[in-house]
Amino acid sequence: MDFTSLIDNLGSHTVDGLTKGAIYALVALGYTLVYGVLRLINFAHSEVFMVGTWTVFGVYAVFNATAASGVGTVILATSVALIAATLASAGTALAVERIAYRPLRKKNAPPLIFLITAIGCSLVLVELFGHVFRQFFGPPFGRALVSIPTLIDTKVLFTVGGVSITNIQLIVIFGAVLMMVLLDLFVNYSRLGRGVRAVAQDPDTAALMGVNQDRVIMLVFVLGGAMAGVAAMLYTLRYDITKFDIGFLIGVKAFTAAVLGGIGNLRGALVGGLLLGVVEVYSSTLFSSNWEDVTAFVVLIAVLMFRPTGILGESLGKARA
Amino acid sequence: MYSLDQQEVIVLRRSTRFGFSAVALALAVSASACGTTDENGGGDDGDCAATIGIMGALSGSNASIVIPSVNGAKMALTEWSAENEDCDIKLQEFDTEGDPAKATPAATQMATNEDFLGVIGGAFSGETRATKGIFDDAGLTMISQSATATDLTLEDPASVFHRVIGYDDVQGVAIANYLREVLQAKKIFVVDDSTAYGEPLANTVKTELGDLVADSDKTQEGQTDFAAVVSKVEAAAPDAVFYAGYAAEAGPFLKQLRDAGVEEPFVGGDGLYGADFPKAAGAASEGAIVTCPCLPAEEAGGTFAADYEAEYGEAPGAYAAEGYDAMNIFLAAFADGARDREAVEKFVDAYEGQGLTKTYKFDEKGDVAEENVVIWAYKVTDGALVADQEVPK
Amino acid sequence: MSTTLLDRYATARKALADNWANGPIWVKLPIVLALISFCFYLPYLNILPFAQIRTDLGAGGTDWSSVLFLIVIYMIAAVGLNVVIGLAGLLDLGYVGFYALGAYSVALFGSPSSPVTEAIARKFDLSEGWAVPFAACIPIAIAFALVAGVILGAPTLRLRGDYLAIVTMGFGEIIRIILRNSEFTGGPSGVIGIPKPPGPEQDGRDYFNSLDVHRWYWLALIVLILLMFAVRRLEHSRVGRSWLAIREDEDAAAIMGVPAFKFKLWAFAIGAALGAIAGLLFASKQGVVEPNGFRLNLSFLFVAMVVIGGSGNMVGVLIGAFLITYLPERFRGFEQWRPFAFGVALVAVMVLRPQGLVPNRRRAKEFEDRRHEAKEAAADV
Repeated sequence: MDFTSLIDNLGSHTVDGLTKGAIYALVALGYTLVYGVLRLINFAHSEVFMVGTWTVFGVYAVFNATAASGVGTVILATSVALIAATLASAGTALAVERIAYRPLRKKNAPPLIFLITAIGCSLVLVELFGHVFRQFFGPPFGRALVSIPTLIDTKVLFTVGGVSITNIQLIVIFGAVLMMVLLDLFVNYSRLGRGVRAVAQDPDTAALMGVNQDRVIMLVFVLGGAMAGVAAMLYTLRYDITKFDIGFLIGVKAFTAAVLGGIGNLRGALVGGLLLGVVEVYSSTLFSSNWEDVTAFVVLIAVLMFRPTGILGESLGKARA
Repeated sequence: MYSLDQQEVIVLRRSTRFGFSAVALALAVSASACGTTDENGGGDDGDCAATIGIMGALSGSNASIVIPSVNGAKMALTEWSAENEDCDIKLQEFDTEGDPAKATPAATQMATNEDFLGVIGGAFSGETRATKGIFDDAGLTMISQSATATDLTLEDPASVFHRVIGYDDVQGVAIANYLREVLQAKKIFVVDDSTAYGEPLANTVKTELGDLVADSDKTQEGQTDFAAVVSKVEAAAPDAVFYAGYAAEAGPFLKQLRDAGVEEPFVGGDGLYGADFPKAAGAASEGAIVTCPCLPAEEAGGTFAADYEAEYGEAPGAYAAEGYDAMNIFLAAFADGARDREAVEKFVDAYEGQGLTKTYKFDEKGDVAEENVVIWAYKVTDGALVADQEVPK
Repeated sequence: MSTTLLDRYATARKALADNWANGPIWVKLPIVLALISFCFYLPYLNILPFAQIRTDLGAGGTDWSSVLFLIVIYMIAAVGLNVVIGLAGLLDLGYVGFYALGAYSVALFGSPSSPVTEAIARKFDLSEGWAVPFAACIPIAIAFALVAGVILGAPTLRLRGDYLAIVTMGFGEIIRIILRNSEFTGGPSGVIGIPKPPGPEQDGRDYFNSLDVHRWYWLALIVLILLMFAVRRLEHSRVGRSWLAIREDEDAAAIMGVPAFKFKLWAFAIGAALGAIAGLLFASKQGVVEPNGFRLNLSFLFVAMVVIGGSGNMVGVLIGAFLITYLPERFRGFEQWRPFAFGVALVAVMVLRPQGLVPNRRRAKEFEDRRHEAKEAAADV
């Protein structure tokens, strides 16, 4: 128990936690969107994120971008990587929905079946990067950790009240919040967003009103996937690595974050993600990092005891208030 | 809602037919009993034949630490077979994925098949702990190329178990010496990864260093965010950081440490030995030190490194030379005329000889004499591990 | 093509199931006895071509009895999880936690070198090498699992399905991490020297030793048969009917006077106890335990066994456990391709046959109903 260290550096620990939590929050959006509309836990979402990180790696390789590259290359490579990762993740999410989930939805299968299918999809995606691609394309595919070139060096931008904020931390937190706001605006104020809310509230009535349910479901998977793609980009900026099984742990944490905030609730995902990140960093400081998962789950269980539907409750947009 | 009764009449009539067909099937099964699996019964054909097993994680995320030693053993066999053409010695691989639960069926298979006269392995300590008893019951000699947990020989010895490598306590002492004497560090931060490998190694190092330990922390497998550990290191302001764990976590940890401006020397144990660590840490790994109870290939003399590269297209990785040595000890037993398990065990127990990496003579617990264990420090230079110096024990 | 094959399978399976359900006892009993004897005979099976199912034929094969033993252990766990998922309809993703509790109970209390027995021996001044005998470890393991099941269940079972899934998953992880991080459980290296069941000495060795694994298999098989019998009785009792009512419609069940919470807790605790028995047998045979053996993946594997086979149906669950444990061992030659193939198979089975290979009769009807509803809904739009 190291209280002094926690209190002394509370500010910087909080910023570390928010950075970690921002990525959880973005990934959590994918779980929450799909859950809000389909009442289904998309366990394959973690690998949608993983595909995004590999895409970033691939784009950097294509542009031959390294730490030594000029500013022009860096800007070009990162923007292309961001777009590519978003598209790749959205595409993966859509593929999972079309290949695996849609046939099950047509049969009106119970949730458990979706869960096992999702686990199967995860395994397929993980093994594609961990083994199958290696057979065809060789390294860097495979089971080893892959280092992604550091294009943006970590620098301290400014210091507020003894807390130094680095450029990367700022990009990650700001990027995540921005995406969240955009998504929130989209769901609450656009025509398509209204369709999403309508299906979330009452699929049958929405269908009667002329909302194309399949299209809304596809949209939801694409949106969730795109958020995971952005998260992947931010993740690679912060940690500079990827690995075939990197999605699993982040997926579990992001899902926890979604439930913590109130699954099906977009703002809940943000709150849950940031809270979870901060809790983990605090607990790692107080005890040590090998207890952080225990703390995260204990907090989750404690919150659910008092608020059985999460901090902000379940609701997609304001539909289920 | 679900009425089943309409069918019942038909079903009842059918059930007698069902009974008869079942009996008929049973008869058919017993009638077709024409051959058994024992027909081509293996066993020794000729005097000069045997099988050596080798087990370890040949697939899964840890395979890269095990496969070089398998290649080394294969090379030893190829070389020997070229000189002894009339002998038929096989090396049989068993994949355990590093999981003790999957290692026991493989171990029982070797233990109960009399063709097996020796086993190279287990590659990891966990699977070795789980299978040692099986081999001991069967009297099947094991020579491990890379299981370094101290308790395997010191706390719970088995007469059939030997290893061609120094155990963690020896390495831990050497690492402490390196930090203290070579780096002249006065304040050392010790981090481990809460695995069966990392934690005991870090504990030995901590005990040896005593007051020199500024602070310590624990991480876990699969961790990628080390912000909390990094702030602890910053707060302790050490002269050196020691990490006991594997490359997948050491890479991002070292990177984040350097990003935060901690430029002090970084030392890791043999879990980081191999090509994965410099790759995982990227440019941040430059100058990092990795210790390993393994002799640099160029020091091993002879043409091992060159031969290995010619055969497998890459420089010999972790424990390749140890795999080669372990196989050679079995081959020496065989050349000496050992043709059953008892004879092999007797030979290996009494074995004395010069291998690639060290002089071998096993003590009664199965360890190489401590004075024969060599521990080397490797430095990451231009993204590759380069032998730096031998570490005082 | 594949659908016709699938349809044929479905029809044939259904005919067989109907025949079986309505068959007279004089046909059923001998068949069951024959099947059971065949299972006992399996380790010795070497009549070609049937012996092709053995896993030790190829050069890199593994010991057939050891594989059979592992299959039966997982079958016990799957039967236990089936009580929770298939009968009571609760999604438990942390089942491996109970399995770990069983394994660690026998390890911590039965092994003379475990930190717990050493502490007890020191405290009460007992002789060196003192440990709780194997037989006494069984009630300890069951008690631990029951208590853990109730501790986990009491606060969480009021949560709805999906919340329960994440909470149980967290619970499974918490158990593993505590086992790994704590001194009194032996830390990441685990515990060695776990006791084996007592038995008459044979050929100078203990009855249960590391080489004659078929005896372990027989022991596990006997345990499995007894537990299956017990669960079957439970399923057809008042408790079983209450589970069914809760699974189909909790609110309606509550209105009819079924105390849903109480019976859910029962299901959880019984499932936990079965998981602990499986873990105990596994640890005893293995001789060592380490926390890494109880990762979350194993939980998913258990759930997959139940669902692939057909949740709610004992035979289905056994088949699911068999396929998932056996196939990777039989096809070791494919080494690195196995996880990928497993993933593809999971998706394929679920998409083509979401009710599982051998579904429960009532469940199959429910599926047909749901499918019908989906069709009707589609037609309406």
